[in-house]
Amino acid sequence: MKQWSPTAVWVEEDVVSSPLAERVRRCFPQLPWHVVRQAREAECTDFAEGKRRLVLARRRGSFLQHCPAGTAGLVCCNYLVLQLGSNCPYDCTYCFLQEYLASAPALKLYANVAEALCEVERVLLSHPQRQFRIGTGELIDSLALDWLAGHTAELLPFFARHPNAVLELKTKSAEVGGVLEHRPLPNVVVSWSLNAASVIAADEPGTVSLEERLAAAERVQRAGFRVGFHFDPLIAFPGWEEEYDAVVRALEAAVDPRRVAWVSLGHLRLTPALRERIKLRGRASWVIWSELVPNPDGKHRAWRPLRVKMYRHMLARLRQWSEEVPLYICMEPVAVWEKTFGAAPTDRELAARILARSA
Amino acid sequence: MAGWAEGMAAWCEEKHFTAATRERWRRLAPPDGEALWRLVRELRLGENQLRDLWEWAEEVAARDSLPLRAVLDDALIREALQRRLSRNDRLKLVRQALRRRRFPHLVAVEDELHALVREARLPAEVHLQLPPDLEGDAIQVRIVARSPEQFVQTLQSLAEWARSDACQRVFALLEEAP
Repeated sequence: MKQWSPTAVWVEEDVVSSPLAERVRRCFPQLPWHVVRQAREAECTDFAEGKRRLVLARRRGSFLQHCPAGTAGLVCCNYLVLQLGSNCPYDCTYCFLQEYLASAPALKLYANVAEALCEVERVLLSHPQRQFRIGTGELIDSLALDWLAGHTAELLPFFARHPNAVLELKTKSAEVGGVLEHRPLPNVVVSWSLNAASVIAADEPGTVSLEERLAAAERVQRAGFRVGFHFDPLIAFPGWEEEYDAVVRALEAAVDPRRVAWVSLGHLRLTPALRERIKLRGRASWVIWSELVPNPDGKHRAWRPLRVKMYRHMLARLRQWSEEVPLYICMEPVAVWEKTFGAAPTDRELAARILARSA
Repeated sequence: MAGWAEGMAAWCEEKHFTAATRERWRRLAPPDGEALWRLVRELRLGENQLRDLWEWAEEVAARDSLPLRAVLDDALIREALQRRLSRNDRLKLVRQALRRRRFPHLVAVEDELHALVREARLPAEVHLQLPPDLEGDAIQVRIVARSPEQFVQTLQSLAEWARSDACQRVFALLEEAP
């Protein structure tokens, strides 16, 4: 996504001389450059405008956090998220960041990645027997800004030294140049969010097409890395069966299932506040129009028998492609797991099952 | 100002509607605003009730590329408004009519489930309850018994129904959408 360009750069005074700041200055020599004491001086109230304000900051809190999917009552895969930035150059209709970052939407890249890696190292070394799964793609796309942030250059050598963790780089981009500069690592998985072509066109502005994502996955896989895929969010729009079947057919044509670490499925889920934000931004689509009802965790999802129908459909199609690829569903209660897979794993079993093929 | 707009403004004032709701109403195309006013006037809607109905109607309108007034002019809504019922009962019917349009697939499954339960002709002492919005795979059964004999008889009826194809179908629908 090299066409992404901020309107201006704000840089906290104590990271002005950081390698990240120097790289950004080289990439955008013409942009207004504001040195500020704290990142919040760059904030604005308009979410879309925030995405064009690049802030280089020092993260002061913890970098490593539990994935918020670990909500009580839902089966959780014990995923950890490593926060190297906040907000994303893309602006997907359904994105939870519209609510989560409503009051601080400026796009931040953290300049103290070395501190982040120290924090991760402490955790990994203090539990050498445990296997961790860590992803960087929660609050920001893992790779879309790699050409600018250079995260892969720091992350891949680090994870090469720490085999008790699997790093997942999750993206909707084709920005894999940074990954391909490294030798393949068994504990690095590059994964793509996949969706129906009509959903990508309507609801994922700025991201690359399905074909480009799969072509990038093919390149990464051919280079020796494992890849992963996330059908998330699944959306119940008219014609979903045919369109999602077409995605699986395209996946079959592009990717060798023997080198796929995992595939996840997750239904669209919106909090009431996020629904309001989406509507206020005038972004109505099947994200809003599909038949979502309130769930016990406060989020709105497609009504349960419809979710199970879609999961079973996808599962059947993906199992035709490969019997072995680990499959899981995201943010669903035990009962939905049982209807979909016949049984629900414990959180620990699920984590082990997902890692079995990627460690 | 048109008559309906004056009525709307007075109603908003009387019911202390928020400025945001008033402004949103004012921004509607006049025929849409008027259609909404008819609903508010007929059902004497408070702000939260209005917001709920409006949200569904607006989503149907956007989804089906219709003006809001066309959604509110639904035959079931018109019929509900004309029924000689209490205001609360008419509001319930209007809500059901809009829900039917907003969630057509869900409501079709619920209709089939209710029909299956109705056709079971279970004793009046048995109350079967489906999960709200089908967000669950269990039905709740409540039995009222006034004597051991009646209790046994009711259980026998229920057991008979539990073995039927209709009951199988109920659980199949709760498990997976057709």
